[in-house]
Amino acid sequence: MTTVLERPEAAVSPARPAPGRSAQRVSRWQIWAPLALYLLFTLVPFYWMLVFAFRPRGSSSLLPWPITFDNFATVWNDLGFAMFFRNSLMVGLASLVATTLIALAGGYALARYEFRGKRAFMVGMLCTQFIPGAMMLIPLFEIFRTLGLVNSLWSLVIAETVFQLPLSLILISGFIKNIPVELEQAAWVDGCGRLRGFLAVVLPLLRPALVAVGSFAFIHSWNNFLFALMFVNEQEKFTVPVGLSYTLGEFSVDFGALAAGGVVAAVPVVLVFAFIQKYLVQGMSAGAVKG
Amino acid sequence: MRPLLALATAALLGLGLTACGSGSSPSAAGGETTITFWDDNGGPARTPVWQHIIGEFQKANPKIKVKYVGIPIAQAQQKYDTAIAGGGLPDVGGVSTAMLANLVAQKALEPLDDRIAKSALNGKINRQVLTTVKATVPDGKTYMMPMSTNMGVFWYRTDWFKEAGIAAPKTWSEFFTAIEKLTDKSKNRYGFTIRGGAGSIAQMMEVLYGQSGITEIFDPAGKATINDPRNVAALEKLAGLYKKVTPEADVTNDYVKMVAQFDGGNIAIMQHNLGSYNDHAKTLGEDKVAAMAVPRSDSGTQSILSNPVSGIGVFAAGERKDAAFKFAEFAASKAMNSHWAEKTGVLPANTEVDGERWIKDAQHVAEASRVLNDPATKVVQMPYYLPEFNAITKTEMEPLFQKVLLGQMPAKTFLDQFSAKLTEAQAKYRQRNG
Repeated sequence: MTTVLERPEAAVSPARPAPGRSAQRVSRWQIWAPLALYLLFTLVPFYWMLVFAFRPRGSSSLLPWPITFDNFATVWNDLGFAMFFRNSLMVGLASLVATTLIALAGGYALARYEFRGKRAFMVGMLCTQFIPGAMMLIPLFEIFRTLGLVNSLWSLVIAETVFQLPLSLILISGFIKNIPVELEQAAWVDGCGRLRGFLAVVLPLLRPALVAVGSFAFIHSWNNFLFALMFVNEQEKFTVPVGLSYTLGEFSVDFGALAAGGVVAAVPVVLVFAFIQKYLVQGMSAGAVKG
Repeated sequence: MRPLLALATAALLGLGLTACGSGSSPSAAGGETTITFWDDNGGPARTPVWQHIIGEFQKANPKIKVKYVGIPIAQAQQKYDTAIAGGGLPDVGGVSTAMLANLVAQKALEPLDDRIAKSALNGKINRQVLTTVKATVPDGKTYMMPMSTNMGVFWYRTDWFKEAGIAAPKTWSEFFTAIEKLTDKSKNRYGFTIRGGAGSIAQMMEVLYGQSGITEIFDPAGKATINDPRNVAALEKLAGLYKKVTPEADVTNDYVKMVAQFDGGNIAIMQHNLGSYNDHAKTLGEDKVAAMAVPRSDSGTQSILSNPVSGIGVFAAGERKDAAFKFAEFAASKAMNSHWAEKTGVLPANTEVDGERWIKDAQHVAEASRVLNDPATKVVQMPYYLPEFNAITKTEMEPLFQKVLLGQMPAKTFLDQFSAKLTEAQAKYRQRNG
């Protein structure tokens, strides 16, 4: 018996009248107006930062003109931002590498292996996300002191990696689950071991997830203020966020230096986003579908 | 993907993270001692001053090296607390009376009375400053080497006073007359600005105790004097100024808004402390702004509130206390204390500095110094030692003070509540500390 499936009448989309010019204009405004409002709120602080960073001290101009780089010279040379920047970069890159590699290995295990307590482990990882970093400050400090890592940039790398791992593991394992295991099996049939099969078949498909995880690790580490201030006791090892806070005095704020420091701090984050944005949404959504 | 990972790894190795290990801790090696100093207010304003002092100290003491670490002021207390709980305190560090009670309660600091008594600074530290330091802790010991203090002053527009043909007020009666005369709402000019937002209570208390002439926050029985009828009358007078000679927006005035109004040219007199001088001088010009002390009460009493004292604490856990104290003593010596106070715009704790030329030239410092060193001046000691003091003044009383300004709560009801809270906190404190 053959069954012919026909589309019911009601499901057929009625022909919509072609939108006129006024209707088009209204719909565009409906999109543009909220977007413009949103952009106003998000871009004005950035504009404010640029104006204060580039205009001369004492100027009340709403434009960064005449342009000056004095504030940048102050933060880079006098406040030591060259040093802070280098430290932030090192911590950010180390956290990126450590988080990505560990999340890759752990995520694969969570996606491909069944073991007792797996569900409880996943729930436990999620629960760690509810604990603010400030609450872990003293226990972490004691651990690092025991390990001789206080006043070392490694303490920042380890703390950042540990705090980033739960979310990264969940994202990567979700992404790996979406890759059919048959692809790997085909590689095994062709003589690959599990590691070789993973490297040859799975890893190239994980690019969006790795970019998302790595960039989050880098940005989070770049912006972290509390750990950098608490675990480090030497001026030469402080990071950019700590340097920024130096511009806030007890009774006065050096707005020019603060804004120039803000620009310096924002540049790497903006560059990272510019580089990864096409992978980011893909990585986040693909990993988030299956937990 | 591979290029990204390769780039990251290469950069990591290239930058040499591995070279940034924990390093050696400050220690004594080859007859040389290294001590660590935490500056509790690190930043472009104070770091160069400390670097100068450290440089001079190392020249005078070649066998002691000082390692400077600047801590942002907003996080200084948290940094100390973490180091107390987890270890890693410095040998010596900047402390203020605002954090002293907390540090002493955790037994973090070394009492310095014996060391100061044997040092060249004995008898040279301002009496009022020492009293404030000792009053902050239950055992009345000196847990810091005082460096400087601040003082509440009234900043005023000298050009407006000159135009109006009036002199800077010396008493509260003159003050109230002057601010009424200087108010011209048609020109958006107001005689005074009240701090109604964050940080309002200390300034309000200064106006109340200044008018009433009462010199103690607690009577001998431990009852708070804030609701004394003279203080109630003073608060009614202050609240009566709102909107009459002050802008309506004062009800939410915090420090930034208050300074913006004064420096923006809308206010004749602004109450704050010496710390805001640079902002005023930069915006209005040095010739258009001056400081006057808190006016005298009608009975002639000059009452001022104690202000936080900044200084240097020697940490009890340190292994190099002698070197640490030597540094503190050097920083508080005449030459260094003078340099410190001049560059940071505060009142020096070392009385030998009072005769320095720069003090006479800086009108605001000279005026504050005159009042602080006047034996007739009564310093009302603020109970910073009460753990609840911050919560009472900021969380509980600030919103109620706004109600008083808006006429939604009588001054007496507000001060009765304030008094009850302070009295209760003082009773608990006495119970805990005998």
